[in-house]
Amino acid sequence: MKLFVSEGNPQCLKVLCALEVTGVQCDVHYVNHEERVVPFLSRPALPALLLPSGRHLFSPNAICRYIFEVNGQESSDLCNQWLEWEATHLQPALAEALHMAVLQGKGSEVSQVLQGPLNFLDQSLNNGNTPYLIGEAVSVADVVLWAALCPVLSDSSLVLGKHKSVKAWFDHVAAMHSCQSAAQKVLQGKGLQGMKSYMQRQPAPQSSQCRDTQPCNS
Amino acid sequence: NMALRELSSLEKYLGLKKPNKYSTQGDKKVPVLQNNNGPPLVGLVTIACHLVKEANRPELLGDSAESRAVVQQWLEYTVTKLNSCTKEDIKTILKDLNLYLQDKVYLAGNQFTLADTFMYFGLHPIIMDLAFQEKEQFVNVTRWFDHIQHYPGVRHHLSPVVVLRNRIYTSRHH
Repeated sequence: MKLFVSEGNPQCLKVLCALEVTGVQCDVHYVNHEERVVPFLSRPALPALLLPSGRHLFSPNAICRYIFEVNGQESSDLCNQWLEWEATHLQPALAEALHMAVLQGKGSEVSQVLQGPLNFLDQSLNNGNTPYLIGEAVSVADVVLWAALCPVLSDSSLVLGKHKSVKAWFDHVAAMHSCQSAAQKVLQGKGLQGMKSYMQRQPAPQSSQCRDTQPCNS
Repeated sequence: NMALRELSSLEKYLGLKKPNKYSTQGDKKVPVLQNNNGPPLVGLVTIACHLVKEANRPELLGDSAESRAVVQQWLEYTVTKLNSCTKEDIKTILKDLNLYLQDKVYLAGNQFTLADTFMYFGLHPIIMDLAFQEKEQFVNVTRWFDHIQHYPGVRHHLSPVVVLRNRIYTSRHH
């Protein structure tokens, strides 16, 4: 199988992290942000995984899930729940936060945009009282959430003072060499600035206000 | 609440004897299932996958690691892309799906899965609004849609949509 990624794309951090943590073997190809790898999608979508059967996966979470399953770790109900929350709740907030921090230079407003999701994550970790999201071992949920939060939480301007459990969990996962190595490959040690050229090619995110008041398909 | 109606239709499709009780959570009205054996489950896709396992129908989630990933990908697509899209997004979604489905019977290939059910639920209001020319333009999507709405036990809470007219018939009589 072949994995296509691009430098500075935060979504690619998830899948590279999953490969490093599981040790699953895969050809990794670095391409431009604009490269159209998935033949049926009109907009470029990276990361993309070309499966042995010739089919494509274009969702970073589905790719991570596949990598873990190939490694013998099928995802549980709780894992599914974290992945769904990440895609439906955390991603919209992160897209807005990254847009502000990387393109508009409003890093100080990031913590406010992320307040809701971080509160929820903090409370869940607090109630669970385990080092990882699901019990004592690292799962696909930890990898996906850690990689999603890594660009913003690694930036020194965002202080996690209030979210002590998130900080403990984030640092615990970050201590794994595999995660650091994946982060270095994608962000090149440049932090948020490493994502600038990727962010410039993304459509501006809808603010949370429009998103909630104008559903087209409810 | 659409999500709760979709879960109730899924329960009927799966033939689950006792209907579950659901509540919702937050501004987005995310469904919550109280689970006797553990903590509550939150989220439409999460609960749907749980129900499929309860009903002992694992093949509906895909019969191989690859298929399972493809099914999860399209389930995620329905809750992230379809539920918060603009008119312009809809055109792109239909165009992409049309190309994707040109050589497939179902979303995961040759096997009916949970992804077909939820994509059908999500596309129903969109297909309802399409003009006939658009239905012909996205012919692979409408063919797939018509197939799924006639798939035994799937339609339940939704009205049937007339998707294709018989071209030979209409050209002779109009």
